[in-house]
Amino acid sequence: MKKSLIISVWLLIIGKAYSLDLEPTILVLNQFDRQVPKVDSTLISNFSKSFFEFESTLNQLFGELDQVDNPAAWRMELVKELGIKHNVNFILFNRIKHEEKRFFMEGQLYNTRSGGLIHHRKIDLANYVGGQINELNLWVGNVFNHKNREWDDNRESILFKNPEEFEHQKTPMGAAMRSLIVPGWGQAYSGKKTSAKIWAGTESSLSLAILISFLNFDKAATGYLTNLENYNNTDNEKEVELYRAQAESDWDDHVKFNNLMIAFAGATGTGWIANSIHAWIVGPKPLKNIYQKWDPPSSAESG
Amino acid sequence: MKNLHGFYLIFALWLVVDSCTIYKKELDNPVDHKANDEQGIGSPTLVFYPKSQTKSLSDSVLIESFIVFKPDSMEPFAGVHLQIEFPNSFLELDTIKPGLFITDTSKATPLFTYSYDGENIIDIYTFFIDTVKYNIQGTGHIADLVFTPFNTGTDSIRYNLKFCEMIDYNDNIIDLNGDRAAEVIIQ
Repeated sequence: MKKSLIISVWLLIIGKAYSLDLEPTILVLNQFDRQVPKVDSTLISNFSKSFFEFESTLNQLFGELDQVDNPAAWRMELVKELGIKHNVNFILFNRIKHEEKRFFMEGQLYNTRSGGLIHHRKIDLANYVGGQINELNLWVGNVFNHKNREWDDNRESILFKNPEEFEHQKTPMGAAMRSLIVPGWGQAYSGKKTSAKIWAGTESSLSLAILISFLNFDKAATGYLTNLENYNNTDNEKEVELYRAQAESDWDDHVKFNNLMIAFAGATGTGWIANSIHAWIVGPKPLKNIYQKWDPPSSAESG
Repeated sequence: MKNLHGFYLIFALWLVVDSCTIYKKELDNPVDHKANDEQGIGSPTLVFYPKSQTKSLSDSVLIESFIVFKPDSMEPFAGVHLQIEFPNSFLELDTIKPGLFITDTSKATPLFTYSYDGENIIDIYTFFIDTVKYNIQGTGHIADLVFTPFNTGTDSIRYNLKFCEMIDYNDNIIDLNGDRAAEVIIQ
């Protein structure tokens, strides 16, 4: 019993020593929408204990994981095959996509022995000087446990130190208040040109409908009062009949246009408030963090 | 300045609310058979026009007496007896004249006479007399009564319907089914 315990401890020590000496060999597949200069040389120089092999023809084999049911095992056979073919322990797939002033980066790390996905990361952040290389360093350093303070500092240099103290030039409340004054203004202020036009058009049409209803109401009310006066001031049977008919018609019209005016005013008021709430909802949201870290599902992480 | 804004706001609200007032439908001319019908007064109806008037002591009060028919129940008539009661506490009878209807718009000379009891009752008797027509038909003006106010007061001039009578040229009675009084206010 004692003998077997001693053998086990020795085996453990030897295994650990072997594993410490084992340098990771990595096949790197990069899929960048723009050329990122000096990627290969930077990785080689920053991770001198690792061996990198770069391959540009295979990167299409790896892609979007969001649509995959079981991302941890979706390329097992291919990964194992590539591991044998290139004689590497890991396959590192990097993808960078640029969008205006931001860039989106995805990293996938596969173990060629198991064929499974062991690390996955997605980030979306503001473009900063040397950002792509720095983020690659952070990503590779993170998965191979190689930390460098400089890389963290580079990234932190683009973050706000005290975001809550910033005065935001555009706020949802500012958008709501603007839309409360002029429908669509808040949406335009938030850059939502289409919805701004829709709200402004709808409210203008409703306001115009109120105005038209009011003018018709006023005309009918004035007509009613005039005909009522004429009706009361005549003792001629024919004129009485005529003025009565006209007064009745005008009275009906003034009630009808009043009801229309109320309906349009109700719709305008409701729309006005809804437009303000909408402006607040679609209003410019303050960015307190420049980058947003993707929170991967645990199954993908564990591989 | 803030108070001024408040004033403008209240003024604007008042303008909107006031400008959208729904008027009461008050079509009540005594010469209008529909108005009388709405009041529940039967037809043919003896009415006065205007239904209300306000005068000063220096004015004279002119009251027009009318017979009002519904278009679907008109009957030709030739003679009318009206008994009218007026407030003699502040009005004095001045003149009684035949109306345009009974003179066929001044084309005929009717038999038109009246009696006054010296108190407050006036009886008017009028018969349509023409060389061609025997009778007249429709809503029309029977007589004008002119009063002189001598005191202030408010009261009504009214018909005593049970003593009023309407006949055709064959002396057949035509039923009178309603009447309306007129209000006189002397200030």
